Amino acid sequence: MATVDDLCPAFAPFFGLAGAASAMIMSALGAAYGTAKAGIGIAGVGTFKPEIMMKCLIPVVMAGIVAVYGLVVAVLIANDLNPANPYSLFAGFVHLGAGLSCGFAGLAAGYAIGAVGDAGVRAYLFQPRMFVGMVLILIFAEVLGLYGLIVSLILNTKAKSTCS
Amino acid sequence: MLYSKTAYIVYAGAFLATAVALNVIFTGNGVWFNVGEFLNETSPYMWALLGTSLVVGLSVVGAAWGIFITGSSIIGGAVRTPRIRTKNLISVIFCEVVAIYGLIMAIVFSSKLQAGQPEGRFHADSYYAGFALFWAGLTVGLSNLFCGVAVGITGSTCALADAADGQLFVKVLIIEIFGSIIGLFDFEGARLQVNITNYSS
Repeated sequence: MATVDDLCPAFAPFFGLAGAASAMIMSALGAAYGTAKAGIGIAGVGTFKPEIMMKCLIPVVMAGIVAVYGLVVAVLIANDLNPANPYSLFAGFVHLGAGLSCGFAGLAAGYAIGAVGDAGVRAYLFQPRMFVGMVLILIFAEVLGLYGLIVSLILNTKAKSTCS
Repeated sequence: MLYSKTAYIVYAGAFLATAVALNVIFTGNGVWFNVGEFLNETSPYMWALLGTSLVVGLSVVGAAWGIFITGSSIIGGAVRTPRIRTKNLISVIFCEVVAIYGLIMAIVFSSKLQAGQPEGRFHADSYYAGFALFWAGLTVGLSNLFCGVAVGITGSTCALADAADGQLFVKVLIIEIFGSIIGLFDFEGARLQVNITNYSS
């Protein structure tokens, strides 16, 4: 049987790895939704005014940044996981919390960026002064993902593995 | 039907789960729900192989979903404008690449499997390896699923935009490239999870 140790059981890495996985998976879902939804709007806009298409790519870039947030948190958590070092259940749950906070925040941010980007570029087609407004709203949506990243980073520094 | 079918299913499931949970608690058997014991008793081989199978299975589902979304748009658009046929096959290739990511990861995972540990006596490293392969497999598989669908949707809009105006193809392709790098991020993240471990199972 594996060592049944109360503080560092053998199944502790299950939760740490779950955190890394959920940070990546849910951020990817948000980013994919944002890219697809905004992309539909941008392609539609391009059939009428091809010259504004480069400026309209901003929502897609911001959706990609949300995926990068998830990648950063997943890599940070994965760096702390090493079967050669002791890994406590506390560290496992801390990493799970860090991963879930970044994941859900990234999912929400990506969804918002997609919806706002789609509506924003369609409005920019008819009214050129809408550009600044669209970018401002997109920034507020992006910052939601950043909040999740900040909480994940703070939580990640608290993961300590003492097994006695 | 007074409510939607999914509402019936969800509420029936929630009611059943609550009934089972309350029964277990009030008959003094609350200890039966033991996550730690479940994780200790299940074989790490189960987790490792679930991860390996999910990585290729879910990636292929994502690639297939993307291909049918983009393929049907290309074929529909090419009825009026046959010139878009060959150029837009690149969208289908982007979706296919997602399946290749999953295949490569499954091959890498399967190289880390070694039989030989008798059931019931697992080393702590084996548990770690099993969990790592499960979660890395789920990460890559689900992310490739979402990436494949996103690339499919943007590929479909690319084909229809190309049919409307030929010079839009390259511009909308940029969006599709942004969609496919989502899949690449997860490939890198999971590769890191799997490679820094030292396996004995």
